[in-house]
Amino acid sequence: MSATLVQVIVGGLLLGAIYALFSSGLTLIWGMMNVVNFAHGDFVMVAMYIAYVVYVLLGGGPLASVPIAAVSLATIGILAYFLLVRHVMRGPMIAQILGTFGLALLLRYSMFGAAGANFLSLPDNLVGGTYEIFGIRLQASRVVAGIVALLVTAGLHLLLTRTSLGSKMLAVSEDATAAQLMGIRPDYMQAIAWGIAAGATGIAGALIATFFYISPTVGETLAIIAFVTVALGGFGSVPGALVAGLLIGLIESLSAYWIGGVWKDVVVYILFIFVLWFRPQGLMGKS
Amino acid sequence: MKKLLWPGITAVLLLAYPLVFTTPFQQRLGALVLLYAIAASAWNIVGGYAGQISVGHVVFFGCGAYASLALFTHTGLPPVLGMPLGIAAAVGIAAIIGTPTLRLSGHYFSMATIAVAELARLVTTNTEFLGAAVGLSGPTVPRTWLDLSFISSVPYYYLFLAVLVITLGITWWMERSRIGFYLRAIRDSEKAARSLGARAPRVKLIAYLLSAGLTSVAGSLYALMFQFVDPESGLGILISVKMLIMAALGGAGLLFGPLVGAAILVPLEEISNSLLGGRGAGLTFVLYGAIIVLIARFRPDGILGLFQSARKAPEKHDA
Amino acid sequence: MLEATGISKVFGRLRAVDDVSAEVRQGEILGLIGPNGAGKSTFFNCLTGDLAPTTGSVRFLGEDITTRSPEARAELGLARTFQLPQTFTGMTVLENVMIGAFLRTSVTAEARERARRILDIVDMAHLAQTPAKTLGTPGRKRLEIARALATEPKLLLLDEAMAGLNPTEVRAAIDLVRVIHGMGITLVIVEHIMEVINSLADRVIVFHQGREIARGTPREVTGDPTVIEAYLGKRASRAGGRT
Repeated sequence: MSATLVQVIVGGLLLGAIYALFSSGLTLIWGMMNVVNFAHGDFVMVAMYIAYVVYVLLGGGPLASVPIAAVSLATIGILAYFLLVRHVMRGPMIAQILGTFGLALLLRYSMFGAAGANFLSLPDNLVGGTYEIFGIRLQASRVVAGIVALLVTAGLHLLLTRTSLGSKMLAVSEDATAAQLMGIRPDYMQAIAWGIAAGATGIAGALIATFFYISPTVGETLAIIAFVTVALGGFGSVPGALVAGLLIGLIESLSAYWIGGVWKDVVVYILFIFVLWFRPQGLMGKS
Repeated sequence: MKKLLWPGITAVLLLAYPLVFTTPFQQRLGALVLLYAIAASAWNIVGGYAGQISVGHVVFFGCGAYASLALFTHTGLPPVLGMPLGIAAAVGIAAIIGTPTLRLSGHYFSMATIAVAELARLVTTNTEFLGAAVGLSGPTVPRTWLDLSFISSVPYYYLFLAVLVITLGITWWMERSRIGFYLRAIRDSEKAARSLGARAPRVKLIAYLLSAGLTSVAGSLYALMFQFVDPESGLGILISVKMLIMAALGGAGLLFGPLVGAAILVPLEEISNSLLGGRGAGLTFVLYGAIIVLIARFRPDGILGLFQSARKAPEKHDA
Repeated sequence: MLEATGISKVFGRLRAVDDVSAEVRQGEILGLIGPNGAGKSTFFNCLTGDLAPTTGSVRFLGEDITTRSPEARAELGLARTFQLPQTFTGMTVLENVMIGAFLRTSVTAEARERARRILDIVDMAHLAQTPAKTLGTPGRKRLEIARALATEPKLLLLDEAMAGLNPTEVRAAIDLVRVIHGMGITLVIVEHIMEVINSLADRVIVFHQGREIARGTPREVTGDPTVIEAYLGKRASRAGGRT
C-alpha cells in the first residue's frame, strides 16, 4: 500500500470522527423524541462562525473556541427546544418538519446577512503545522480535531449508558408518561438532551472549522452527511453513528482520491439511497 | 350554488387580472404567481394531502426545466416538446426515492428528498451535457409559434392559468375519490388507515408520483418563459422552500391553499427584490424562515385553515 | 376460523408473550383478559399484524397470515379497533366510516351510502356531519367500531372497547357488541372489566406475565385459584409500588 493511500485513509478516518461527533447530536434527538432536527447542519455552521469570531477577536484557537462554541450551541439548543420544538413535536408531522426546517433557513440566511456569502477560513497554522510520521504527512489540526471528536463521542455514549442522567433520558424516550410517574420531568430531560446534542454539535463545529471552509451554506452539505451517517448507523445509536461516521469519512476520502473531489459528495449521497433501499434500519439497527 | 361562490370569484379575478393591471411588471408578477401556484399545488398533493413533507421538490422542477432546454440545445426541437421527457424523468426519480422511504417513518422521506435534490444539483453542475455550472438557454429568436416565445408576459399568464386549472382540477378530483380519502386518513393515523385496508405505502407513492410529474410541468413552463436554466435557478434548494412555504402559508392539504400562499409571497419577494436588489434575496429568505417557523408553531393549517375552522365551528351546535 | 399457534413476542430482554396458542371458532365471542402488562394486548397485536410475532404462526380462514400486513388482513375480513382511539381528526364522523367502507367499493357515493347504513346500526346517524375531533371518548370508541364494521369483517377484534366508559356507556357498548354478534360476526374482545367478559364472552383466555394461565367459560376461570391470585397479587404489588 502506498504512503499516499495510507495518508488518504488516515485523513478519512480523522474526518469521519468529526462526522461521527456531529451526527451523534442528531441521532440522540431523533432516538429520544422522534424529532429530526433539520437545522442540525446549521448548528454546526453557527459553531464554525463562533470559532472564526473567537479567532478574529481574541486570536484564540480551538482551546478557546471549543468551550465557547459548546456553551453557546447548548444555549441555542435549549432555547430552540423551549421556544419551538416542545410545541411542534406534539403537532402534526408537517409542523415538526417545517419548524426545524424554518429554523435552518432562519439561521442560514441571518448569517448570510451578517457575514456575507464569502468563504472564510482559519489560518492553517492555528493548530501546529504539518508533520511527517512514517512517511505520512498529517496536519496537526486534523489530528487534534479527530482525536478530540473521538473522545467526546465516547464520552457522550458513556453519559447516555452509564449515568443516572442517561438512564432518566432513556426512560423518557421509552415512555414519557411512565417516566413522569417515576418523578422524572420529561420536559426537563428533553431540554437537557437538546442542550447536550447541540453542545456536542458546537464542539464538532469548532473543531471542523480549523481545517474546513466556513460559509453560511456549509450547513446544508454537513446536514446531509449527518443524515446519511444516522441512517447508516441506525437511528438513536451513538455507537452506530461512530462506525457510520468513520466509514463515510473513509469513503469520501477514498473517492476524492480515486475519482476526484467534486464527486465525493455524490458518492456519499448515492450510498444514502442504497442504504434506504437495502438496509433502512441501518448497519447497526435491528431488522 | 354557494359552494361555487368563492371559486367563481377567484376565476373571474384571475381571468381579468392582466386586463386590469397592464404594466409589464404587474403582468410578469401575475404570471409568476400562477407559475409558483402550479408548483406549490403540485407539492400540496404529497406534502399537504398525504402529509409527507418533501423538502427537495425542486429536483422535479429541474427535471422539467432541464428536459425542455436540453432537448432544444441538443436537437433544436421546441422546448415545449421536452415536457413529457421531464415528466418521465421526474416520475422515475420519485419512484426511486419514494418506494423505499414511504414505507418508513416520514422523517426518512424528508431526509431523502433533500439529499436527492442536492445530489441532482451537484451532478448537473458537473455535467457538460446539462450545461454544467453555466446553464442552458432556449431559442433566442422564436422560429415558429411552437417555441412559445413571447415578449409580453400575457400569453404566459394565460398558459399558466390553464395549467393551474388542470392541476387544481386533478387535485379536486383526487380529493373526492377514494385515494384522496385514504391520503387524509393516512395523514391523521397511518396505523388506523392500514387496519381499515388502506394500502398506505402504495397510496402515498401514487400521490408522490403524481406530484412529481406536475412539478416537472411547472419546471418546463419556467423554462419556456425564462428560456434559461442553471443549477441555481433550476435545482437550488430555495425553490423547494418556496413551494412548501407557499402551500403551508395558504393551507397545506387545501385545494386553494397554495394559490393563496403564492399570491401573498411572490409579490412580497418581487417587491423586496426590486427595492433592495441582490441584498434583498438573503433578507427574503430570513423572512421565509421566520414565516415557516411561525406557521409550524402557531398555525400548522395555514391561512385558509383559519377560515375553514371558523366556518365549520357552528356545525358543532347542529350536532 | 382463526388459529394462533405458539405465539411468542420478545422485546429486547422482555418476553411480552410466551408461547400462547388460541383458536377462535366461527360465531363465538372469545375474551382475552389479564392484568395490565400481562401480554394480552401484545398477543392481540400479533393477531392484527401490527406486530410480527418472534415465533409462532397465525392462520385465518385456512390461510397463513403470519407475515401479512394489516391492510391485507383487513381485505381478508379481519377488522380491529384500537385501545386508544385512532380517530381521523381531520374528517367528519361519516368520512371516518367511509374510510372503512372504501375497502369494498372504490366509488365515493357508494362508500358514503354504506357508511350511512353503518352509522344507523351503531346509532350515530345524527352525528354524521360532526367533525370527529369534537367527539369525546365514548363517541370515539363507538366510531372505531363503526369504521371497523364498514370493512364488512368476518372477525372483529376489539381492544378494550369499554375502557374509560362510565357504567351507562358500558351497558350501551355491550348492547352494541350483541348487535354486531347478531349480524353473524365473530368477535375477540380484550377487556379487563370482568362484568363485560361475564356478560359477553363464550370462552375466555387469561393472561399473566406473558403466559396463558387459564382458559374456559367465564364462570370457570373466575373461580380458578391461579386466576384469583394473579389478579389480587398484581393489585397488591402495585399498591405497594405506589407508596
